[in-house]
This record gives sequence, structure tokens and C-alpha cells, in this order.
Amino acid sequence: MFWYKSWLDTRWRFLAAFVVLTCSAVLTVLAYPKVVMLLPLVPLEASIQGGEIGRRIREIAELERTYRGYIWVQAFRQNLTQMGVLFAVLLGTGGLLPSGSKDTALFTMSLPASRPELLGARVATGLGQLAVLAFAPALVFPLLSPAVGETFTLGSALVHGACLFVTWTVFFSLALLLSTVVSGVWVPALIALCAALVLAAVDQLAGGLSRFSIFAIMSGETYFRTGALPWAGLLASGAAAAGMLSAGSWNFARQDF
Amino acid sequence: MADPFVIETVDLRKRYDGVEALQGLNLQVPAGSIFGFLGRNGAGKTTTMKILLGMTRPTSGRARVFGLTPGSSGEGVDIRRRAAFVSEDKSLYDSMDVAAMVRFTASLFPRWRADLERQYLRAFELPPNASIKTLSRGMRTKLALLLALCRGADLLILDEPTSGLDPAVTEQVLQALVAHVADAPATVFFSSHQIADVDQIADHVAIIDRGRTAVSGALDDLRRDYRRIQLVFDDTAPEAVFTAPGVTHVRRSGRVLTLLSTAGAGQVVEQARALAPASIDVCPVSLKEIFLETVNAEE
Amino acid sequence: MLLLRPNPSSGVPIYLQLVEQVKHAIDTGAIRPGEQLPGIRPLAEELVINPNTVARAYRELEHDGVIELRHGAGAFVSAHAGAKRLTDRLRAGQATVAAAVERLRARGITDAEIRRLFEAELAGLTRAGGHRG
Repeated sequence: MFWYKSWLDTRWRFLAAFVVLTCSAVLTVLAYPKVVMLLPLVPLEASIQGGEIGRRIREIAELERTYRGYIWVQAFRQNLTQMGVLFAVLLGTGGLLPSGSKDTALFTMSLPASRPELLGARVATGLGQLAVLAFAPALVFPLLSPAVGETFTLGSALVHGACLFVTWTVFFSLALLLSTVVSGVWVPALIALCAALVLAAVDQLAGGLSRFSIFAIMSGETYFRTGALPWAGLLASGAAAAGMLSAGSWNFARQDF
Repeated sequence: MADPFVIETVDLRKRYDGVEALQGLNLQVPAGSIFGFLGRNGAGKTTTMKILLGMTRPTSGRARVFGLTPGSSGEGVDIRRRAAFVSEDKSLYDSMDVAAMVRFTASLFPRWRADLERQYLRAFELPPNASIKTLSRGMRTKLALLLALCRGADLLILDEPTSGLDPAVTEQVLQALVAHVADAPATVFFSSHQIADVDQIADHVAIIDRGRTAVSGALDDLRRDYRRIQLVFDDTAPEAVFTAPGVTHVRRSGRVLTLLSTAGAGQVVEQARALAPASIDVCPVSLKEIFLETVNAEE
Repeated sequence: MLLLRPNPSSGVPIYLQLVEQVKHAIDTGAIRPGEQLPGIRPLAEELVINPNTVARAYRELEHDGVIELRHGAGAFVSAHAGAKRLTDRLRAGQATVAAAVERLRARGITDAEIRRLFEAELAGLTRAGGHRG
């Protein structure tokens, strides 16, 4: 019954995320024909735009010459990654307290369930939701690409979906852990998002080291460029998420209500 | 279960952020009693209840419910299987309706009484499809009480069950509690500011003041032992010391000397006669007065 | 038989109020020897008082020989409880009290003061010289 309760507490967040992410994937596919028309207009000569920004514009234009590259740049590297982190945090924040207030948790805490049981249901529901949120948009690509005359392999979709899922759990776990330390729904979310922004900023500035950033794993960059799965990165992410969930569970077991 | 006390605390202490919520609370709640727990706001009543149910860990001291330790994870779950709690704000799941709330709770208790559920849904006039968000305070209280009564609980822990309720709903609540205790060997432990309610249904009380037990015992014993004695003199009341045990609150005002005795009037009256007062009046003391005298006492 | 709601704040223990009410009901003939009293649970529910209190009142009444508690059947008024001479004595006593209260009121003494005078008298104070006049 606690799974059902967790679902009730998070269903609107989940449904909003599902709609947004899936629609984003759909729109990305459907916009491809227009992009194809506009791409030749982007000049590729080095002299046109200098510096980092110019380099990036040229890089994107280069990648988007292929359909697969286009999908990777638009969806996996950008939209799904950015929005996914936001939604993962929103799903994890608040922990067991939908309204963030400890008083409303008193009924739950007076029930004959242990704290690990209660938190476990919440985590299980959240992870299930994240999996759906990761694979549903990813599966849009193999299913919908024929509509614009392109193909996208199921294998690629599954790999990218897995990369999204595993890395999103890191932010979900972070938000959950913060919720056991800081009360409220919005404050843990804000802190987690700030952490994400800091990571992203470091990612941008580090340049060469960005291969190891969580966002590179999230977008499945290694797989996109070389076909090799980022096992190390996925394992590290999984371990980090597990570690944070354990810490959160430990905190929760000791909290006073 | 040979343990005569359903709830027992010994020197229970709790500190929150530098605030000493409980400073050595000693409590013994006999099985089968209706136990009233009185105290000013912030005296530590809610903290005590949360500790008993394993929601909060004490700083030191001992608390036992059904002989089990609430702080231990496994025993805490056992306690919450047999005890029901209704918080002061009667918090429930706003996102559910009445029927869903009942189903959810019923699914957690194998001894759920479907017959009581039907009976109380009817008696309390709770509409099954009403969203909990829309319920009035009285309705929420009755629903919370239903959820507590139908699960076959041996112990009900209620935080201000009748606060904010009109007299008719209050009577319904008190009647349901009385019926529950009469039916099964159940204990009710409730805090209240409505002293009249405590007077009406409790057989034991404890008054908590500044985190400690100030008064505790059977209500009938308190009614028998507390007496206010007033001596009127022809001239200014003398400065007298009363050595009888249980004499507190000696007040002098002009020709009148008033004192409170917690051990009956006999010895005090005997000593008082030696002062040759013009009149001696002995009056019983209401629970409200006992409460006020206790919590207003200077240390 | 109708029992009145006891007054919880009167200072008199509720169980004693019940005991007095039952004895009074027997003495005035409102309930007769051999008749059954309400069960503990229904009575507690009806008066909204603690069932332990009702149980205590019934035990007290049984101890005084006023009622019999028959195992499994309930509480019944004892056969000899309602002696007629007791009823008569009480009626006479009632008349005496009524007359005294009349006279005291006529002297301008308030009801509260009258109550205190009776309490003090019953506590044995006036005879021992604690009250002048």
C-alpha cells in the first residue's frame, strides 16, 4: 500500500515530466525536415566566427549533418539531459513528505511500518518512474523516425535510455538525501539543482576532462562517438546513487518527527 | 501479559535544539484505564506521545509500551501494530477521499473490524466520496477516530481529541471512546485542554508541568484528597505554619487564611483549630483548580 | 429506569453520585426490588462516563447489599433493599431539610452559604467549636 501512496504523492510530477519529455522527443523528430533545409545556410569556414562559440556552432552543425548526430545533439545531449535532471530532482525532493511539512507525516509515522520499509517504497516508486521517463522518450526515436524518412536503431534507443536512467538516479538520490537533511520540498530541490548547475559549469570550463562528467555519461557520448558503452561511468553513477540513498536511509532512520 | 502498565516512562528526557522538552517524566498508565494527560501548551505532552510511538527518540531515560521499547525498530513496529495515534491536527492524506483513506488503513491491519467501520461511517455521517481536503475539523476528527477505533487497537493515544469541536461532536467522540474501552480491554491515553472532558471520562490523570510529572493518580483519589480550607479570623490572620503533610499554597489576605491540602482535610483542620479561627470552611477542589494551582506553582 | 447525568465537576466522585442516585431511586420506589439495572457498557455509553466508574459504583452498591451482581445476567436490585420504613424515613428527612432551607433563606442566607453550612455540619466542625454563632 505504501507504493500506492508514493505514487499518489508524486503522480502529477511524474505525469508532467512524462508529457514534457515525450513531447520533446516527438517534436525533435518532427523538426528534422526543417533542420535539414536550414543546415546548408550555416557557413563552415573558420573565419566567419572565432573563438569557443564559433567552434561549438561549427561542431553542432557538423554533427547534425547526420540524422543520428542531430538526435544526439538535440535530444540526448541537450533537451532530455537538461529537463531530465530537473524532473529527477523534482521526483526525489520532499522524500516522504508530499507537502514538505513534518506534521502531515505523523499519520504515516504512526503506522506499523519500519522506516526502511517506508523509504524503500518511495525509492522503488521513484526509480520505476525514472525508468519510464528515460525509456519512453528514447523509444520515440526508433518508432517515429520513419515518419520523417529516417531510421534510429532500437539498440541505440535502449542504450541511451539506460544512460539517462542511471545518471538521472544520481540526481534523484541527491534530492532525496537532501530532503532528509533539510526540511521542505523546494529547498532540497534548489540545492540539488544548484549542484547540477555547478557540475555543468565545471563541465564547460574543464573542456578536456568533460569526458568524465556525468553529463557526458547521461548523453551517452562515448557510445555515440565510438559505439562503446560507458561502463565505468554508469557503474560510478550507480554507485554514487546507491551511496546517497543509503545515506538518506540512514538519516531517515534517525530523524525525529 | 502480566504487565499492569500499558505505558511506563522512567526519568524520560528529551532535548530539542537546546530546549528541554522533557526533564525527567515519570508516567504509569494502567491497562484498561482512560488516562487524561494535562499540561500547558509546550509542557511536553505531544513530545511524550511521539516518543511512545517511536516517532522521536528520547535523549535519555526509559519508555515502554506493552513492555516494548519504541525506539527499537522491530519493537517499534510491534507497538504501532497494537496502538493507534491521532495527532492534534488530525493529519490525514489530503489527496485521498474518505473511502480510500479507510481502505488504505484497513489494508495494514489484519484485525480490522469491518462491522465497526460500517457502524461508525453511519454514526459519524462520513460521506465516503468526500475528499479529505474538504472535510471540516469535526469530520476529520471523526474520521481519524474511526481509523483508530476500527483497527482493533489495544491502546489509543490521542492528542487533544476534542479541541475545536462543538459540544455535539465532542459528545460523539467521548461516547465512542467510552464504548471502545467497554467493549475490549483497551486503554485510552489522551491529552486535553478541555478539563470537563477529562472529568467526565477519565479515571486516571497526570499533570505535566515543564517537562515533569507534577501530579499523577486515580482521579477519584484526587477528588477525595484535594481540599481547600478557608479560615476566617476576627482579627488579622496569624502567620502560621502548617506541618500537616500535603499542605500547599497558604495564602493570607487580611482576616482570611486559605490553604490547599493534597492529603485530605482532617489533620489540617485539627491544627487549624489551635489558632481559634472564627470559622473553618472545607471545600472540594475541582480538577480545573488542581490543574491551575499545580502549573502556577512557583518552584 | 432513567439515571441522570452525573456532574463531573461537582467535587463528588462520579461513582458516588451514581451510588446515591441508585439508592435514591430505590428508596423512592422508582426502581423496585428484583428489577434489573442497566448493564455496565450500555450505561457508560448512555451517560458517556468511564465504564470502570460504573463498575465501581455497582461494586459499591453490591457491597452495601443494595444490589446483586449475578454472573452473566447483570445487576439486580436486592430483595430487601427497598424497605418501606426507609422510604418513609427519607420522606420525613426530606421534609425537615425543606423546612430548614426555607427558614435559612428567610434569614437572607444564600443557597451557596446554606450548602457550606450543611457541608461544615456534616464534616463535624460546628459541634467541635470551630464556628461561632
